[in-house]
Amino acid sequence: MAETAAEIGKRDIILKVKDLKMHFPLRQGLLQRRVGTIKAVDGLSFELGEQEVMGLVGESGCGKTTVGRTLLRLYDPTGGEVLYQRADGSWVDVAKISRREMKDLRMEMRMIFQDPFSSLNPRLSVRDIIAEPLVIHGAASGGQITARVAELMEAVGLKPAYMGRYPHEFSGGQRQRIGVARTLALNPRLIVADEPVSALDVSVQAQVLNLLQTLKDDLRLTFIFISHDLSVVEHICDRIAVMYVGKLVELAPTDELLRNPKHPYTEALVSAVPPADPLIKMERIILEGDVPSPANPPAGCVFHPRCRYAQDICREQTPPLVQVGPEHSARCHFADELELQGVADAYPP
Amino acid sequence: MSTVEYYGVIPTSDEESEESNDSYSQLVWQRFSRSKAAIVGGLMIVMLIMLAVFPEFFSPYNLYATALGDSYTPPTQIRFFDLDGNFSLRPFVYKQELEIDPVTYQARPKIDPDNRYNVQFFVRSWEYKLFGLIKTDLHLFGLDTDEVRLHLLGTDRFGRDLWGRICLAGRVSLSLSILAAVIAIVIGSSVGVISGYYGGAIDNAIQRLVEVVMSFPELPLWMALAAVIPTTWSGEQKFLVMAFIFPFLRWAVLAREVRGKVLSLRETDFILAAKEQGASDFRIIFKHLYPNVLSHVIVILTLMIPDIILAEAFLSFLGIGINEPLTSWGFLMKSAQSLETLGQNTWILTPVIFIVVAVLGLNFLGDGLRDAADPYSNL
Repeated sequence: MAETAAEIGKRDIILKVKDLKMHFPLRQGLLQRRVGTIKAVDGLSFELGEQEVMGLVGESGCGKTTVGRTLLRLYDPTGGEVLYQRADGSWVDVAKISRREMKDLRMEMRMIFQDPFSSLNPRLSVRDIIAEPLVIHGAASGGQITARVAELMEAVGLKPAYMGRYPHEFSGGQRQRIGVARTLALNPRLIVADEPVSALDVSVQAQVLNLLQTLKDDLRLTFIFISHDLSVVEHICDRIAVMYVGKLVELAPTDELLRNPKHPYTEALVSAVPPADPLIKMERIILEGDVPSPANPPAGCVFHPRCRYAQDICREQTPPLVQVGPEHSARCHFADELELQGVADAYPP
Repeated sequence: MSTVEYYGVIPTSDEESEESNDSYSQLVWQRFSRSKAAIVGGLMIVMLIMLAVFPEFFSPYNLYATALGDSYTPPTQIRFFDLDGNFSLRPFVYKQELEIDPVTYQARPKIDPDNRYNVQFFVRSWEYKLFGLIKTDLHLFGLDTDEVRLHLLGTDRFGRDLWGRICLAGRVSLSLSILAAVIAIVIGSSVGVISGYYGGAIDNAIQRLVEVVMSFPELPLWMALAAVIPTTWSGEQKFLVMAFIFPFLRWAVLAREVRGKVLSLRETDFILAAKEQGASDFRIIFKHLYPNVLSHVIVILTLMIPDIILAEAFLSFLGIGINEPLTSWGFLMKSAQSLETLGQNTWILTPVIFIVVAVLGLNFLGDGLRDAADPYSNL
C-alpha cells in the first residue's frame, strides 16, 4: 500500500538530485559545428528515501529515460549534483566522481532495461548474461557463480535448468526476468527501472510488476520506476514525479497526485487512466498538438501551447516549482487556483 | 487505491519453453545444411583441401623429379573397354606410341593392344614424407610397370605429372589466399571495431584513411609490390611477402563494413547494459561486439579467399608472383603464355578448372554462410 505524505517525510534520504542538467549538443555539417542544444533534462531536483519507489512519468521524449541514464552516469551530466548515500553512510556526487569510483558504485546502483529483446546479448547463454556483473566485479568465481546464478534464476521465477539456453529461446516476459536477475546479481540498493514492462503483453506486465513488488519488499530495494503509463506506476509507486520537456512539472505521493492533480498536464495524464469501474464516466482530456522539441522549447511555461487554461502570463514567464501541499509541488502559475479533475470518484478512499 | 497482492510465491514463467537446447552454432548448422548449393560448395572445398594436403599420395610419380623425355606428354587414356569392346571393371591403359600421320605430319598416338596394364590402387612406389615427417611410399593409384606412364592430366614442360603438380600447387594457392584473407580480416575487423566503437575524431581519422586506401588501384600496386621482391629470395620468403601484399588494400573494405555493424550494435541496449554493469571497453569489444560481428566477418572471409586466389593466379601467370621451386595454379599456366605451346598442348590449361572449382565452391559456401549466419532472422 502506498504511504502517506507524513511517512514519506520521515525516511532516510539516500539520493538527492539537485538541479540536474543533461544538455546534448546538436551538431551538423562536415566540421560538426554546434548548431543548437537539446535540453533533455533541464534543472531536475528531487530527493529519494530509502526503500521508496518513485515513479517518473511523462510522454515519449520528455527526458525520463535520460534522467535514469544520467543518474547512473551512463551519460555525463552537464550540470547539477547527484548525491548518493552509500551503504556505509558516506555521500558521493555521482555526477562528478571518476570512472573508476563509478565502477565501484555500479554494484549498488543498477538498472533494468526497457526492451528485453535488445538488452540481452544474443550470443551469450543465460548463465553468462546473469553472471556478467559477478565476473566484472570479481564478486564470485567458478562454482560460486553457477550457484549464485541458479539462486537468482529461482528468485525471479525461472528454472535454473534453463541456464545453458540462449535468450532467443525465451518469451518476452521470461527475458525480462533474466534482465531482472542480472540486475539483482550484486545485491543492489537502488534500481532504476526504465519502463521495465512497456515492451511486454498486458498479461505478462502484471506478472513482472508483481515480481518487482515482491523483490522490493524482500530485498529492501529503492526504486526509480520510469514509465509512460500512469496505470502501471500507480500500483507500485509511493510517489510520482511528472516530467514534461526535461522539467519536473509535478511531484506528489501517488494517491495525492491521482486524486488531486495541481498541474493541467498531470490532469490530462490522469484522465487517461481507465477507472476500474466501467460505470464511472470520466472526462477524457485530449491534448492537442505535440510535445515541443527540447532543442527549441516555447517561451514561458513549456506546456502553454497545449494547455487549456493558458493565459498571457504563461506565455511570458516560466513558472517555478512551488509547494502546494505537504510533499506536493507543482510547476504552474495557477496551481492554487485551478480546480482540476482527479480520480477521486473512481476509487473510494 | 488497489494494492498488488503478495501471495508469498513468485509466479513462475508465463510459458514454459520446451524448445530444444540449441546453441548458436547448432542453429547456424541447421540453416546452412538446408542450402544444397552451400553443401556442394563445402564439399568442393574439402576435396581441394584434401588434394592440397596430400599431393604426394595422389600422384603416382615423383612430383619433384624432372623427366625431360616425357615433356608435354598428353593425358593418358584410361579405359574400361578393350579394343574388341569387352568391358572390364578394372580400369586399364594401353601402351601408346606416337606415330606421324603420313598426310598431315601430325603426331598421333598409336595404341599397342598387346601391352595392356591394369591400374593398381594403393600402390607403393616413390618415397616421400607425409607432413614432412612420416616416411612412406603409399600412393592412391599407379601402374606396376615402367613401360607405360599414367598421367591423368598429361605432363608439363619438365615431364612432371601435371595432376600431381596441380595438387601441389593447390597447397600454395589455397594456403596463400587463406593466410592473406585472415591477415586482411584481422587488420580490417580490428580497425573497424575500434573506429565504430570509439567514434568521434578516431572514427573520422580512420575513415579518411580507409577512403585513401580504397582509392588505390589494386592490380598495378600489387604488381609493383610483387615486382620489387628480390629474385634471390627463397620461395618461402616470397610466399610470406605475397601473403602480406594482398591484405595491404583489402582490409579497408572490411574495416568499413565492420564499422557499420559496430555503429548499429553500439546503440543497442545490451551494450548499454554492459556499460551499466561497469564493463571495461576491452570487455565490451571482445565479449559483446566481436561475437556479434564474427558471423559477418566469417562470411566476408569466405568471399575474400576466391578474390585472392584469382589475384594470385594472375600475378603468378605474369611471372611476378610465386616461382620455382614453389608452384601455384597461376604459375602452372605460365607456359600457356606462348600461343605455340598452348596450341599443341591444350591440357596445360587444366589448372583453370581447379581455380574455377575453388572460386565457385568458396562463393557457394560464403552465400550459404551468409544466409545461415543470422539464424534469428525468421525461423
